[in-house]
Amino acid sequence: MGYVELNVLNNTVPAPAPQVALGIDLGTTNSLAATWREGRPSVLRPDGRSGLVPSVIYFPESGAPIVGREARDHAVVDPRNTLFSVKRFMGRGLADVAQELATLPYAATENERGLIQLEARGRRYAPEELSALILRKVHDVASTALGEKAPTKCVITVPAYFDDAQRQSTRDAARIAGLDVLRIVNEPTAASLAYGLDQRDKGHVAVFDLGGGTFDVTILSIEDGVFRVLATNGDTHLGGDDFDQRLANLARTALGAEHGDELTRDPAFQQAARQAAEHCKIELTNQPEAELHLMVPHKRIAWRRRVSRDEFEALTADLIERTLDSCRRALSDAKLTAGQIDEVVLVGGSTRMPVVRRRIAEFFGRIPHTELNPDEVVALGAAVQAQILMGGRRDMLLLDVTPLSLGLETMGGAVSKIIQRNSTVPCEATEGFTTYADDQTGIDFHIVQGEREMARDCRSLGRFKLKGIPPMPAGMPRVAVRFHIDADGLLTVSAKEQSTGISAHIDVQPMHGLTDSEVEGMLKSGYANAVEDFAARRAADLKTEIGTMVLATEKNLNAGRAGLDKESIRDLEDALRDAKVAVQQDDVKALQRARDEFERAALPLAALLMNNVAQKALMGRSLGDV
Amino acid sequence: MPNCTACGAPLETPVACAACGAVHDVPEGASPFDILGLVPSFVVDERDLRRRLTRCSRLVHPDFFGTAEAAVRERAERNSARLNQAFDVLSDAVRRADWLVLHLGGPTEENERAMPQAFLVEVLEWNEVLEESRAASGTDPRIAPLAAEIADRRAAGLARIAQLLDPLPERGSQQLGVARRELNALRYLDRALREVETLRLARAERR
Repeated sequence: MGYVELNVLNNTVPAPAPQVALGIDLGTTNSLAATWREGRPSVLRPDGRSGLVPSVIYFPESGAPIVGREARDHAVVDPRNTLFSVKRFMGRGLADVAQELATLPYAATENERGLIQLEARGRRYAPEELSALILRKVHDVASTALGEKAPTKCVITVPAYFDDAQRQSTRDAARIAGLDVLRIVNEPTAASLAYGLDQRDKGHVAVFDLGGGTFDVTILSIEDGVFRVLATNGDTHLGGDDFDQRLANLARTALGAEHGDELTRDPAFQQAARQAAEHCKIELTNQPEAELHLMVPHKRIAWRRRVSRDEFEALTADLIERTLDSCRRALSDAKLTAGQIDEVVLVGGSTRMPVVRRRIAEFFGRIPHTELNPDEVVALGAAVQAQILMGGRRDMLLLDVTPLSLGLETMGGAVSKIIQRNSTVPCEATEGFTTYADDQTGIDFHIVQGEREMARDCRSLGRFKLKGIPPMPAGMPRVAVRFHIDADGLLTVSAKEQSTGISAHIDVQPMHGLTDSEVEGMLKSGYANAVEDFAARRAADLKTEIGTMVLATEKNLNAGRAGLDKESIRDLEDALRDAKVAVQQDDVKALQRARDEFERAALPLAALLMNNVAQKALMGRSLGDV
Repeated sequence: MPNCTACGAPLETPVACAACGAVHDVPEGASPFDILGLVPSFVVDERDLRRRLTRCSRLVHPDFFGTAEAAVRERAERNSARLNQAFDVLSDAVRRADWLVLHLGGPTEENERAMPQAFLVEVLEWNEVLEESRAASGTDPRIAPLAAEIADRRAAGLARIAQLLDPLPERGSQQLGVARRELNALRYLDRALREVETLRLARAERR
């Protein structure tokens, strides 16, 4: 008879069933979730659709905000109430983003604490609240794909070059969305995980990540499953949007000369120009010439212009140069030359542009990897990292760095660096402080992030105040302040008074980002209300879907009746009746059954209609006319 | 090195036990050498150092504590930071030498500001070239040879420091003061090299 051996000494308990967490790419243009399934990362696609959620939010006149594809369609019709590119405003002040605001159709203001607010339908939203809405939508889509409520534990990616405030904002957004963030991971680093480059035992990798609104380059060394980031560089204000703007400027210049500033400042015009430019840019990826075609119906404007790929590349040459400058700086920091890089990985939709691929191949002297979809590779990598964090993989180890030096403002406004850029995280440094006056109980200090000599040229992370120092003669207290940058790249500051041995409680108050109570408030009040009933949501979605199908079928059945056999017609009529009954109730399983059955029954009709369309096309009419 | 308080196995590093995985509180005064399980010495094998970083990171990196209880997670996070800090000091010859000079009771940078005599003459010449190059618009043909010269000078300085610090001198030895002066020169050289690099990158950008 067999028996169970109990390991009493180690008090071993059977390992619980492995849990998974989501990997989420929260992008400027699109967002996406992936998870670990059957031994590898996979994108969560509901019903075989792409899973990509456009990072766009539309605020209708009444009712809840609409996020994603549907919201994007409102952008031209109602540009003032359609918010996009929210990521560009995360953790920033108005002054940081003045340039992009000039080209945006919606309004932005600053609140009393210098935090940016975007306006729609007369209400102001913090970028964190808006990102939370996108995250909720991504989570919903993931739930739909999984057929059950998706995990709330997740890994969220950010550009490697994001500073502390931008990372903190991302974390706050997730909290507002009711998600539990296991880790903030840098996008290029995540991408390197997705490529399974750990299979090679040794080498140097460059990840070039040009997204919708941000650019990063990261240089890693890989050795025995350890991914060590050597250097990272980038620009959080450079991306595909900027390439679009160059094309949009063609329209702006031409039409501005003809119709004046009043037109070019019109939000509908701006939105139309933006979309026309994006469309033209995408076409130029596959063909040497494309049309920039712009319509603003209420201004009676229909404008077109041919743009060649050469012209487009000339218009954007300086943008490509800026990315190469970052590559040079990253290589210099990594103490490597371009020729020492063994693999180059391209990430981000903007790397589809042929000019990017060509210049990168020239620069590094090798053909870059493009096997994985550049829109999906970051989410896939986040799913790998999520799996590591959930305890599912111990063979890989990721050592990432902090992108920017951390410093303190000294007397006279100079910066004294306490943590150098490209230091492996987590990292920490301790700095000593003392008082200038007798019985002084507080010390102020100003923390900045950046590489410039003067504090005013760096990014302020806020003024901190040490309070609660025991009263002593000037210069006597020895306050040790510990600056810790965690694996998320987030800074925490703690302090201890050492000379007296009195364990004084010293508060460190940050002065940037949302306060805890603000996040709490948004959690309670916002549309992005934390945990929603997945079943109720799914039922509502299915009802809408069935409703649309019923309408379409009823409309087409009369036209198609003649071409169908009796059995198919009876079958479809039965399914129609059943579907109408099914939508009276909230049972998800029954609704799903009804939808599937209806879809099956509607197949012959759909085939017939497609056939008609094809025949008409053969008769010399284009599909678009039918 | 003491034994593990959880399982009794001998510890290779104070951050955690390789045998049972327990994460320990690292004593406040633990040195970078202690943390990576090394005896203080100016000579370190870079490859061995990287291996030690990897091995210790696998014990305490926060990635492996995603589902651990908060207290353990925080300790791992803290130890991981100490580990990275120790690696940063030991993997850089200048920072390593600086730590050893201080640890052996030698002068601080503030107490001993002098540089070797001959060095000052060279500095004046380099400064002239750098200044002119900064003002010039095109690529200065003198910059590349200058960078090579400074790098050579740096290697020579490091070699002298190695002679002074290997084997380690007695506590409070005169040699520590000499080493400090060489270190001051090296810091200066590193600043000059950064300057050259900035010029090089700026030229590339203007192109």
